[in-house]
Amino acid sequence: MRWINQRPSKGAQVVLACLPFVLLGLAYLIGSAVRLADNPADKLLPSLQSMGRMIEVMALTPDKRTGDYLLWSDTYASLGRLWAGLGIATALALLLGLVIGVLPVARAVLSPFVAFVSMVPPLALLPILFIVLGLGEVSKIALIVIGVAPILARDLSLAALALPREQIVKAETLSASTWLIAIRVVLPQIMPRLIDSLRLQLGPAFLFLIAAEAISSDSGLGYRIFLVRRYLSMDVIFPYVIWITLLAVVMDLGLRVLRRRLYPWTELEGAR
Amino acid sequence: MSGLTIQNVWKEYGDQVVLENISLSIAPRSFVALVGPSGCGKTTFLRMLLGQEVPTRGRIDWDGTALPPEPGPERGVVYQRYSVFPHLTVLQNVMMGPEMRQAPLVGRVFGPARRKLADEARAMLTEVGLSGAEAKYPAQLSGGMQQRLALAQALMMRPRILLLDEPFGALDPGIRAEIHTLMRRLWNELPMTVVMVTHDLREAFTLATRIIAFDRTRNRPEERLRYGATITKDIAIWPPRRAGAQTLYDADIPPSQDDLTAFGLTSGTTRLPDGDIPDDATYPPHG
Amino acid sequence: MPTRRTSLIAALAMLGTLSLNASPAAAQARTDFKVAWSIYVGWMPWGYASDAGIVQKWADKYGLTIEVTQFNDYVESINQYTAGAYDAVTVTNMDALSIPSAGGVDTTAVIVGDFSAGNDAVFVKDGSSLADIKGRDVNLVEFSVSHYLLARALDSVGLSEADVKVINTADPDMVGAFQTADVTAMVTWNPMVSEIAALPGATKVFDSAQIPGEIIDLMVANTQVLADNPDFGKALAGIWYETATLMVSDTPEGAAARAAMGAASGTDQAGFEAQMAATELFDKPGDAVAFTTSPDLAKTMDLVRLFLFDKGLLGAGAMSADAVGIALPGGTILGDANNVKFRFDETFMKLAADGAL
Repeated sequence: MRWINQRPSKGAQVVLACLPFVLLGLAYLIGSAVRLADNPADKLLPSLQSMGRMIEVMALTPDKRTGDYLLWSDTYASLGRLWAGLGIATALALLLGLVIGVLPVARAVLSPFVAFVSMVPPLALLPILFIVLGLGEVSKIALIVIGVAPILARDLSLAALALPREQIVKAETLSASTWLIAIRVVLPQIMPRLIDSLRLQLGPAFLFLIAAEAISSDSGLGYRIFLVRRYLSMDVIFPYVIWITLLAVVMDLGLRVLRRRLYPWTELEGAR
Repeated sequence: MSGLTIQNVWKEYGDQVVLENISLSIAPRSFVALVGPSGCGKTTFLRMLLGQEVPTRGRIDWDGTALPPEPGPERGVVYQRYSVFPHLTVLQNVMMGPEMRQAPLVGRVFGPARRKLADEARAMLTEVGLSGAEAKYPAQLSGGMQQRLALAQALMMRPRILLLDEPFGALDPGIRAEIHTLMRRLWNELPMTVVMVTHDLREAFTLATRIIAFDRTRNRPEERLRYGATITKDIAIWPPRRAGAQTLYDADIPPSQDDLTAFGLTSGTTRLPDGDIPDDATYPPHG
Repeated sequence: MPTRRTSLIAALAMLGTLSLNASPAAAQARTDFKVAWSIYVGWMPWGYASDAGIVQKWADKYGLTIEVTQFNDYVESINQYTAGAYDAVTVTNMDALSIPSAGGVDTTAVIVGDFSAGNDAVFVKDGSSLADIKGRDVNLVEFSVSHYLLARALDSVGLSEADVKVINTADPDMVGAFQTADVTAMVTWNPMVSEIAALPGATKVFDSAQIPGEIIDLMVANTQVLADNPDFGKALAGIWYETATLMVSDTPEGAAARAAMGAASGTDQAGFEAQMAATELFDKPGDAVAFTTSPDLAKTMDLVRLFLFDKGLLGAGAMSADAVGIALPGGTILGDANNVKFRFDETFMKLAADGAL
């Protein structure tokens, strides 16, 4: 039988899916054991026990200086920034995407501009943002907005433009004004795309967040990673990286469920 | 002058002439079928009647006044595809038009007004044979049911003109026959003029009161750009078919079989498979 | 399937080898060495020595190959050394203790190059004295010598870190950050110090000249490598003193060296000389030996290790500041004698002082 026709069974699929994780874990354990045998205080690949101890320190023990549970206060600070940034970016992108997608005049004015702005590398803007907006929360949230909103807006305007012309004309024959076409025909049909684009933008949003936190902050997941990097504390960095990944995975899943709940028609066979 | 009046209408895209010098009068309550080969401009003509396209020259009047230059509720449309909204259920699709007319700000009605509208929509769905499917999404419907839904949605607005752009072209023959029956009943019952584009002559003869053929009269390669299509045949069905009145045809058609081309054939003969009409039978030879 | 299993084992073995490659410099006599340095006034001689052939000259003398690599990121250079990719690195006394030594890499200070005497400073905006810093946000590189300087500064006026709020800020952004409205106090080092001092509204309220000898710039090497290869230490000392002597000499060659170092650190000869004025450079090995063997060094290192322990930088397992032992010249040991990981060794500087290189 050809390889292309060989399909793993359900059980085999689970095993195969776990395989890369297990291999990665094994490789780490071996590397860690080798280095620790050489130098018991090695910081590069700490043992699971020392990571566990640090997780206990970061997540379950109040910090002796501030009294905060650092992992949670970092998570709280970072997610606050992330959600504020993504929220503003989404609202902005929805407005821009809708206007560009629906109104030819707005498209003529804004479409080249948004396309241009979406090509600006946001991280290159960071020094400017810090100087113009200060080192506080505003510049961090602004970085996420600048990084995410233009791409979302472009994607949404493309999605709006991709709607069949027939639907728009049909709505007109059903007495819809431009406004009603926007809110009752175009908006509900680009919302699923918005959620999907947002899922794809979670990665970049975290990147911008961590980059901003690395430069100036007093709390946050990115702040902590770049702070402890100063003394090569991989026993903190590894759990934080895994935690950030988990947060992103959960947000991604949550958005997927949200889309299914809110827009069940997108899941149907034959739906455009 | 009542009905649709088309006077010296030209349609050009840049240098390309698509339609030239179309003049035509369509009486109220007519059922006009537009036929012709692909690319002959029959769909463009329909779009001009709809307001989706604007004539380059000439004018189109309804009851003596110019039609608005953009689509509106006085003209309904059903396309071959994309006629219904995939994000709305069947009931929501049918309620959409009246809802938007009644609530120009939010596009939704609530409370008793909504219940009244839902009742009307259900009645319309029953009319087109879709009762029971109210909560489904269009993607869950078959092609024929989607087109019934599109008709119901358009008819909720009580349009004076209903424009059909190859609405049944993608349907299986059996399904198509059923929907032809429905279409003719609706045309008989509702006070509207129907203009339908079709590539299927049989369908045209089954439904229409009048058949108008479009074609290019000059078709040499060097002439293609500068000369557009025009009306080459204008056939009134005889004996005349009248909206709301029984005709010879209708009386003779067995309820299960409303295909007129089958009507003339000896009984027991297999009907021609759909889309397999011999070329020479489709259109008159080029003038 | 046997082939699959063997390839799995092979893959695992490969991963294991990869991690082995980064393991600390293996103990054996050898002739190839790698030195990392980063841009700072007291470490510019290393770059210049490499460009001017001084490194080559001393390496040849001992029959060695020494590769000198500049890092744009100071912390990365230390991390690379700690991970074992480099044999020696330029580092401050504080970071040497908190990063490689607390990470179990036994590290020896081969050359005590200079100490900061004004290169690190505390600034406030719209204030006149250090006491004005109370209640403000202070922007600095957290856990760096700036943080230590702040702790010492606050201590000198009876304040503690609880009286301010520290905002971790990346050093390349310090000058820009100082010009924004929400930054009102800052601790940083040169060349940012001289730029910020020139800004309107900036008042320098404390600097490292007020804690002389506490912020020390070193060239450290892996203790095991050094023990196995004393010639490497000798070569480092030879490179350093030849370059430092040239650097401070009032000759056209000296001026040219200073101009080159200034250009390499993003300023010019005058700017570089201003930074040198805020640095107590040990261009004479005798001075460095005297500094290293003086009892003051023990006091300094005690302050430093207490600061690091207080910040939790001696490792999660550290129960007290004694967790990491520090060996000083003359046999003095601070902390755990069974876990000495940081050593001050005057041997190579003394060889230079005695002209025995």
